[in-house]
Amino acid sequence: MKRQAAYLAALASILLVWQVASLFLPPFFLPGIPRTIERLVTGLKSGELIIQIAPSFLRLGVGYALGALLGGFLGLLAGLSRSFGRYLRALISLLQSVPPITWIPFLILLFDFGNIPVMVVVALATFFPMALSVLNGTEGVSRTHIELARVMGASRWQVLTKVYLPEVMPSGITGAQVSFGNAYRNLIAGEMVSGASAGLGWTISYAGEIADMAGVLAGILVVGASAALIDNLLLERVKHRLLHWRSAGGEQRG
Amino acid sequence: MASTVQIQNVSKRFGRLEVLSDVSLTVNAGEFVAIVGPSGCGKSTLLRMVAGLERPDEGQVRYKERPVTGPGPDRTLLFQEHALYPWRTVAENVGFGLELAGVPAGERRHRVDAVLDLVGLKGFEAYYPSQLSGGMRQRASVARALVVNPEMLLLDEPYGALDAMTRAAMQDELLAFQAELGQTMLLITHDMEEAVYLADRIVVLSHRPGQIVQEVQVDLPRPRNRGDIRLVRLREHLLTALHTTHASL
Repeated sequence: MKRQAAYLAALASILLVWQVASLFLPPFFLPGIPRTIERLVTGLKSGELIIQIAPSFLRLGVGYALGALLGGFLGLLAGLSRSFGRYLRALISLLQSVPPITWIPFLILLFDFGNIPVMVVVALATFFPMALSVLNGTEGVSRTHIELARVMGASRWQVLTKVYLPEVMPSGITGAQVSFGNAYRNLIAGEMVSGASAGLGWTISYAGEIADMAGVLAGILVVGASAALIDNLLLERVKHRLLHWRSAGGEQRG
Repeated sequence: MASTVQIQNVSKRFGRLEVLSDVSLTVNAGEFVAIVGPSGCGKSTLLRMVAGLERPDEGQVRYKERPVTGPGPDRTLLFQEHALYPWRTVAENVGFGLELAGVPAGERRHRVDAVLDLVGLKGFEAYYPSQLSGGMRQRASVARALVVNPEMLLLDEPYGALDAMTRAAMQDELLAFQAELGQTMLLITHDMEEAVYLADRIVVLSHRPGQIVQEVQVDLPRPRNRGDIRLVRLREHLLTALHTTHASL
């Protein structure tokens, strides 16, 4: 309940600043909340916005899944092999400060306009935080936990599946959450600059070009709301399900 | 009596640090042997060699006449820290060894229940380690070792982190298990009182590089009384032996 209250307070303060600012600025520059909501409702009713959400989620889904799987897999390998770990860390430190959308000119030449450049941008945005988080988690696996499994007769495969995987899981989930935010931001940015002809990011940049500020704001509302929904409804649930042992710590028995 | 463990002229170094030097020791089947020594004398390393987690640089460790090349289910190590997996419940932790060996779930539950009953953790099957006290965690850890019916238990200061009362209770429980199940025990400790109370034979290791400086047979009948003057004298004797090795270096 406290968390929800905090969410409401944050939301209310954003809306308040927006509405107050709109009172002092001309409507073609910053439309107020009622006008934006009206625009949002017509957009949703006509199906125009829904149509734009679908390609965005396709790109997000494919890019994120690809980046997260590859990042998780290579992060785990890097955590198991010290020399590969060093190499991957160096690679990440060289590449992760380059914003993924800067590769777009290249990607368009390689794959032509369409879904693929944005998917690759999303995959890159997902990969680095995921790989780093899983790498750190794997390196942090307790030696005693591994030795214990060996003493109990575990094979290499069993050590991997019964010690490494569950112990790396919390870092994997943190990585998945951090990289989701990163992926989503880069999805929208990618759609705005990649010459895509559909998608949420494209809608926003198109509305901007025709000076439809209510359209821009409606787009931003959809972007913010859908990211928050996915994070809270999906990722938080997955986390609770997979890490339920962590929240069991309440009771101490003497 | 058949010898279970034979440690033959074992030396071990980590980099330039020599931790064990020409150690030879035999442990007989069903015997309770305690190894005491100052910290850093390589006593844990010696135990880990018997467990198969370390290899000697020189010499050989044999278990039932065969050289130890790796861990085996016949020798189970009880770690200093309880080392339960925090993501597994008590029952899942205790059943870990059986799960690894592919024992079917039904039989596993049966055996886990029996051993939890033995260590007094009945009713805590579904608890996570974070919900247990230190003593209960150590009990769960003992249960996990016992459930696979090892012939030998290797104990690496298992009760070091417990308060004195819990420790005494756990020591008595350990002796009760041994009386019932007849395992061979090899215990590492720096607690002389623990060593003289539990062991049939006590081996004193010197300061690094560890060498055996004394072996003492504890020929006192069981059950022993912690306040027994002979135990107290023996403890004094061992402490003196330990201090002498310390001072001579």
